[in-house]
Amino acid sequence: MKNLNALKTLVLIPCYNEEENIVRVVKRLKTVCPEVDYLVINDCSTDDSAALLKAGGYNYLDLPVNLGIGGGVQCGYRYARDNGYAITVQMDGDGQHDPAYLPEVIGPVADGKLDMCIGSRFITHEGFQTSFMRRVGIRFLSGMIRLLCGQQVLDVTSGFRATSAGMTAYFAEHYATDYPEPEAILSATLAGYRVGEAPVVMCERQGGVSSISSIKSVYYMVKVSLSLVIDRLAIHRVRAARPRRKGEPL
Amino acid sequence: MTQQFQAFMLLGAASLLVIIFVLLKKGLMTVKYSLLWLCLAIVLVIFAAFPYVVFVLRDLLDIEMPVNLVFLLMFCFVLFVLLSLSIAITQLAEKCKRLTQANAILEHRLRQLEDAAPTPPGTAPRNPHTPHKE
Repeated sequence: MKNLNALKTLVLIPCYNEEENIVRVVKRLKTVCPEVDYLVINDCSTDDSAALLKAGGYNYLDLPVNLGIGGGVQCGYRYARDNGYAITVQMDGDGQHDPAYLPEVIGPVADGKLDMCIGSRFITHEGFQTSFMRRVGIRFLSGMIRLLCGQQVLDVTSGFRATSAGMTAYFAEHYATDYPEPEAILSATLAGYRVGEAPVVMCERQGGVSSISSIKSVYYMVKVSLSLVIDRLAIHRVRAARPRRKGEPL
Repeated sequence: MTQQFQAFMLLGAASLLVIIFVLLKKGLMTVKYSLLWLCLAIVLVIFAAFPYVVFVLRDLLDIEMPVNLVFLLMFCFVLFVLLSLSIAITQLAEKCKRLTQANAILEHRLRQLEDAAPTPPGTAPRNPHTPHKE
């Protein structure tokens, strides 16, 4: 792997009502990887997250209205694009993702092998593996993405992912709302970017509540499945609509 | 179609026209969105004033009652309006998202500039940023 310090790297930490975790997550990141920049995206939290970030003097974006994880992370990708970062990493604000694995996730992107590298807990099956029902859902979505674009990704819902500058610019313009992780994999692959995975170990969230509750999970599966199919059709159409070369048959 | 129904349609179309003009005058609706409704009012007036149009259309579609054709067309029209509203909402949501993101990035930059600049003596302390809570 190339020298990690040589590449300008930004870690995005989306944060919605994470007052129990956010300071610990940022502190841990600053201790483990002091050489990378970070940016917390406070998605209009209703708890004290914003006050904690302000008091601690941390680098954060403050969204004036709640956009959801997709709109928030996209805002971070825009910031990264505008500030010329070579690599952008997305990392959850709930302490599930250990910054110690940043080099593993960044590595393939820094080497130029991948445009997006996803930290996956299902390669080595170490650490927190989430509940059985969620694993079933993740496997279903994984199979669906493989069917729609031929790309094998095991941990499709993982929010621990590194992107190259080109991929970041693409996400700054095209990023799904609501539950964007599986859709981002499909749209990136269809747009011609190289997507892959790196093994990481995740922890169980240490406090607060997940953004996907059991009631919402049905809506989540239906919405994401439908979005994937629509994305497949829409992005295919964009490709088909490319300008026809001279003399090319209709 | 009975005489009473024709009168009712005329009355309905007239009230619709009045409502639309009042909304336009008060600035509660833009001309862009009022055009669809004005079309509906005009079509209703045509149907009420010249029932012959309805009879011809009924024969074309082979519908038993002419009044059912009026209902069918109005239902289709409402569906069309609802679809166009969904499209408008989606576009507004996208614009709102972009604005929010641009605002957050600008606010971040302003905060950095303010922190970097020394406060001139004698100026009032800056107000802390208070985001609008939904």
